Amino acid sequence: MSAATRTTRPVTSQGHYAGSVSRFLAYAIDIAASSGVFALALAGISYVVSVVTGRHVSWSKENILVAIIFVAWEFAYFGYSWAANGKTFGMAALGVRVVRADGATVDPRHAVLRALAFPLSFLLFGLGFAGILVQREHRALHDLIAGTVVVYAWDARAARLRFLAREAEPGAIRAQLAGDERS
Amino acid sequence: MTDPFEALAQRVAERVLDLIVSALDVDALLDRVDVNALVGRVEINALLDRVDVSALLERADVNELLDRVDVAALLGRVDVNDLVRRVDMDSLVEQTDVGALIARSSGGAATEALDAARSQAVGLDQFIDRWVQRGLRRKQATPAGPPALLNGRAGP
Repeated sequence: MSAATRTTRPVTSQGHYAGSVSRFLAYAIDIAASSGVFALALAGISYVVSVVTGRHVSWSKENILVAIIFVAWEFAYFGYSWAANGKTFGMAALGVRVVRADGATVDPRHAVLRALAFPLSFLLFGLGFAGILVQREHRALHDLIAGTVVVYAWDARAARLRFLAREAEPGAIRAQLAGDERS
Repeated sequence: MTDPFEALAQRVAERVLDLIVSALDVDALLDRVDVNALVGRVEINALLDRVDVSALLERADVNELLDRVDVAALLGRVDVNDLVRRVDMDSLVEQTDVGALIARSSGGAATEALDAARSQAVGLDQFIDRWVQRGLRRKQATPAGPPALLNGRAGP
């Protein structure tokens, strides 16, 4: 086989600054996931209260206590995820992660600072997020404050090899997989 | 019956030869020989044509030969990273069972969907970035990523 002659073209963007679409999709997934978990938790608490006291509890959006708990939960969700491994659930799905501006792993202090500064990017009609589009390193306002950047963390080369593997002999592989599942 | 004189002459000749050989400084003699010129006069190809390589190999004990090879030292001289860099992984995956192994070990609808979604997102990122750079009339190329990550290539 002539496997030793052609050099492979680099296809991975690993380590490059992540763009707006990946980051927005990751954020959308995170909001959906964190809100879903919060709603489930409220439903669970309501159920337990109704079982124990026999009174039905309903949570209103206008309830200031619920709003405060929700903001605290969001802060904990993002802050803890960034501090623990530099990425939230949505970021892991989209293959991006937060690192320090020099590329070092983000530490808890910077993760918490980023989570605190995150709401500031929403001010002035979300103008703080414009940096993701126009700033040279795609840094939003909260990135500039916390000294962080968001980079691609997934290995596109591995994905390409998986794609080639599926394309190479799709019929044979699928038949083999189906045979394994039956046995 | 051997002539006694002939036997005597034989012994004398052998003795004289022994004395001459022992008196000779063979190393000094070899130093005076131009080995390169000597080798240059030898017709190597003709010599090799007369060698029965198959018979020679049959007589060679390859296992014993391999036992005498220091494999660790040999491997130490091989630049494995350079070797791996020269491997065309795309062609390896397409033409061998490695593709099937990869598909079996990492296959699945979820992985496939995730790969596709990420690829689409990266493509859209690059598309938007190109238009923004064009709109901002930036001449200089923007940095691709933190130097520590790009140089290491290992990723975070």
